[in-house]
Amino acid sequence: MSVRVMEKTMTCAEFQESLPELFEAHADLNAQEHLKTCDNCAALVRDLEYIASQAKLLLPMHDPSPAVWDNIQQAIRRNPSAQPGRK
Amino acid sequence: MSSGPTQPRPATQHLRRNPPIAGEEEAIEKARNGDARAFETLYAMHKRRVYSLCLRMLGNVAEAEDLTQEAFLQLYRKIGTFRGDSAFSTWLHRLAVNVVLMHLRRKGLPQVSLEETLEPSQDDGPRKDIGARDLTLSGSIDRVTLERAIENLPPGYRLVFVLHDVEGYEHNEIAEMLDCSIGNSKSQLHKARMKLRDLLHTGQRKEQIA
Repeated sequence: MSVRVMEKTMTCAEFQESLPELFEAHADLNAQEHLKTCDNCAALVRDLEYIASQAKLLLPMHDPSPAVWDNIQQAIRRNPSAQPGRK
Repeated sequence: MSSGPTQPRPATQHLRRNPPIAGEEEAIEKARNGDARAFETLYAMHKRRVYSLCLRMLGNVAEAEDLTQEAFLQLYRKIGTFRGDSAFSTWLHRLAVNVVLMHLRRKGLPQVSLEETLEPSQDDGPRKDIGARDLTLSGSIDRVTLERAIENLPPGYRLVFVLHDVEGYEHNEIAEMLDCSIGNSKSQLHKARMKLRDLLHTGQRKEQIA
């Protein structure tokens, strides 16, 4: 479906089907005629935009347990041939 | 697909997320020459980010720790191949992504077989019954709630969502990693966001009832 599809008669199903393309095209969703008259789809768009924006703000929160570094050291000691530059 | 990282194109979000770290360049150079302490420094600098990436992709602490270990062992072996075409952290994170994807393929799980999960289903079709009657999410979800919802995504959805929306990879990069079409990656991402919205709304409703 074309990104330019903005018919007033568009149904919710048709609009939602076009959403992935609209998002990827960074289209101005506020300009979509369907959203001016459809509270459901307007709320959907707001939520999806919000989810995407919040995901970008997620930062690493947890450290691995100390055992991970211990295991790495042991593995390196067991296989000294796997040194940098040797493979 | 090779388990080693290719030299990825710098993406805006990668650069934003991977600013230069003081002392990193020196540590890389020393680690390339076999300096164990310098390698430990690199581990300390990047362990949280690599582990978080593995954990978000897998949703399992034990597997995430195993693959963090594997990623750093691969780093130890391959650090000599880092050419500096991209930020070191970008290169390392791509290496970690490859380690996770190889693991999933070895397990033979359908996580990376996106084609199957892209078939329309009753759960994934356009929804007309949610929206105005529900609370809108905007401004109401915290980081922990979102993390938990991501954990509860179906594995195929979670992979694409984490790679695109959290890690900032482009669809062409994801398509290459997952051996699917760009269109599939886009479609999967949209379905993941829709599913997340459902999960978050459900969580809000449960909180209200409680």
